[in-house]
Amino acid sequence: MLKKKICMVGQFGVGKTSLVRRFVDSIFDERYLTTIGVKIDRKDVTVGSESVTLMLWDLAGEDDLAQLNASHLRGASGYILVADGCRAASLAKAVELQQRIAGQLGSLPFVLVLNKVDLRDRWEIKDAAVAERGWPVFETSAKAGTGVEEMFLALAGKLVE
Amino acid sequence: MNLLSALGYAVFERTADGSFQLHGAVPDWLPAGQLQDAFPFLEVFLPDAEEFWANPSGRATLYSDLWAQDGRHFGAIAIAGEQKFLLIECAERRFQQAQSFVQYAHEASLAREQIVKLTEAKTEFLARMSHEIRTPMNSLLGMVELLSETPLNEEQRKYVRMFQRAGDNLLNVINDILDFSKVEAGQIELENIEFDLAEVLEEAIEIAAVRARAKGLEISSRIQPAVPTNLIGDPGRLRQILLNLLGNATKFTEHGELSVLVEKQEEGTLHFAVSDTGIGIPADRLSTIFDSFSQADASTTRKYGGTGLGLAISKRFAELMGGKIWAESTIGSGTTMHFTARFLLGEGTSKLVQEAAVPLNARALRILLADDSEENRFLIRGYLKDSGSIIDEVENGAQAVEQFKQRSYDVVLMDAEMPVLDGYSATREIRALGATPVFLLTAHAFREARQRSLEAGCTEHLTKPIKKAALLAAINKFVPISDRIHVAVEDWLKPVVGGYLEKRRGDITKLHDALDRCDFEAIRTLGHQMSGTGGGYGFEPITKIGSALEEAALAGDSARIRASIEDLDHYLSAVQVE
Repeated sequence: MLKKKICMVGQFGVGKTSLVRRFVDSIFDERYLTTIGVKIDRKDVTVGSESVTLMLWDLAGEDDLAQLNASHLRGASGYILVADGCRAASLAKAVELQQRIAGQLGSLPFVLVLNKVDLRDRWEIKDAAVAERGWPVFETSAKAGTGVEEMFLALAGKLVE
Repeated sequence: MNLLSALGYAVFERTADGSFQLHGAVPDWLPAGQLQDAFPFLEVFLPDAEEFWANPSGRATLYSDLWAQDGRHFGAIAIAGEQKFLLIECAERRFQQAQSFVQYAHEASLAREQIVKLTEAKTEFLARMSHEIRTPMNSLLGMVELLSETPLNEEQRKYVRMFQRAGDNLLNVINDILDFSKVEAGQIELENIEFDLAEVLEEAIEIAAVRARAKGLEISSRIQPAVPTNLIGDPGRLRQILLNLLGNATKFTEHGELSVLVEKQEEGTLHFAVSDTGIGIPADRLSTIFDSFSQADASTTRKYGGTGLGLAISKRFAELMGGKIWAESTIGSGTTMHFTARFLLGEGTSKLVQEAAVPLNARALRILLADDSEENRFLIRGYLKDSGSIIDEVENGAQAVEQFKQRSYDVVLMDAEMPVLDGYSATREIRALGATPVFLLTAHAFREARQRSLEAGCTEHLTKPIKKAALLAAINKFVPISDRIHVAVEDWLKPVVGGYLEKRRGDITKLHDALDRCDFEAIRTLGHQMSGTGGGYGFEPITKIGSALEEAALAGDSARIRASIEDLDHYLSAVQVE
């Protein structure tokens, strides 16, 4: 079966682990647990007529002290930039990461995810700031499940094109 | 090997053919199958490990990051040497430790972000509140100012004075709260301009003296001879500290005197001491009086009033100026508040002195006033009513732009927030049409609001409540002195005003002749004619000059007559009928 490695990247606390848990186990946990190193999950999906195993590499969120370990991106077929709609700084971090990853891996398929759409009334990230980049954008809520599956499947679709 | 197994490691030897051979028993936590299949993470670690085994560079071990899979946590260690080993660690304990440390830092960071957001929200709320309060305050204080210029009896004048004083007090409280919120949000930036220390001190003393003398207190100040008075710094904030301290000294002193002493400390640092002979502060409260919302005795809030923010603000200002603030006091004998501040030495004449020298004369101008509030328009009209200015009024930014295209103006007074098109956008459009000075009138007092006005192309940003003196000072500063005086004349009078003005020009010669002859009666008659007719044609200044001539002629005052003739000459050569 086709196997594709997808990396989840973004600032700490934006919900990368929760998105994977929602997608893989259909679970959401209110508790915030910082990811250390990498958390690896797999999920079999069907894209069109193709069965694909997605290897989801959930990389520890970046903070002021710890940078993304670039070696973890080795062999990735695509990546998911995750930002928290309630934290404008997390979009800036996503943009910075995209530039770094593109510099290292070249042009790989990716999507930008604005998570926590269930808290939309508290969002700091404005639609215009996102639209101007012309990236594929998904608004998700790992808590409510909104848009999560669509987002993963859309990227998987790109990977098997 | 047994020891490593007991410690939770699975030990593999990397063989010459590149495969991995398990040493010892299979740990129960080790997934079945090929090592690389069992641990997908190894696909990113093994390339690093191979490089390390090939060239260990004097190191014995290479650690991988931790990883999680299937609910367990692992780590990998490559060991170099004659034999090459790969250890897989069941790393629950190490993971939990690492996670608790990092999680602590992340949670603290998220909490801090929340606090910053809350502080920003609070500052924004205060800015909005201050706007909401300042807008009606502008009307209230302005109307009182206008009212005080009308004929009033003694009782009415007393009420108006009380009204003014209460309004000023309220405005001070609002300003204190605003300043404090800015200090708290780290938004205070000091100015660095040249100023005269003696001027600043004198101004502060003058303001404080009004209240001090009303209580029968003496007030004095002394700058020691070694103190340089030409300084570079923030005179506004320095004055604010002095006023805060003098205000407190006045408040808490019933008998005796207040004094300010300025002396030089080390190079660049000045020491200020504000002393009173008041009630004093208990020793145990001397250090806490500089905390926010604090007064030496909570009960004094009721007796003496105040927000308790003045000293907290003063402390922050002194610190921003590179100094500190402290207090010395003896109960019943008085208090000395000390503060230090650092300044650079200035050169030449200070800006403050130059600015203070600008006379505040109202000039006759053609003014476009855009404000949706009838009260505010009334106020501005009132401020300028004696200037002979013509004011065209509109109620929104779009109308202002349209009106601006119709004729030329000396100055545009633009409210910031209006329906249809706000003042910022309207200013941008007007700026594209010409360089006429535009003053933005806004109740927003924050520095960002001023920045926004200037970015929109405004010439000056005036914060409501706008005082008459501030408006006239801005006009004097930014509106070029024009020789033209525009006078709007009603249509039916237009055919005759030319002849009327011509006749008045003829009067100038007659007046000079009469003055040469000392014929005061002829001068009085000419003055009387002018005072009776000028206003009727729309030339109020001619009426005023006529009255002045009449009075001066009756008094036989040649100098005043000559001055009035000059005024008339100047007015007639500048007046332009619209």
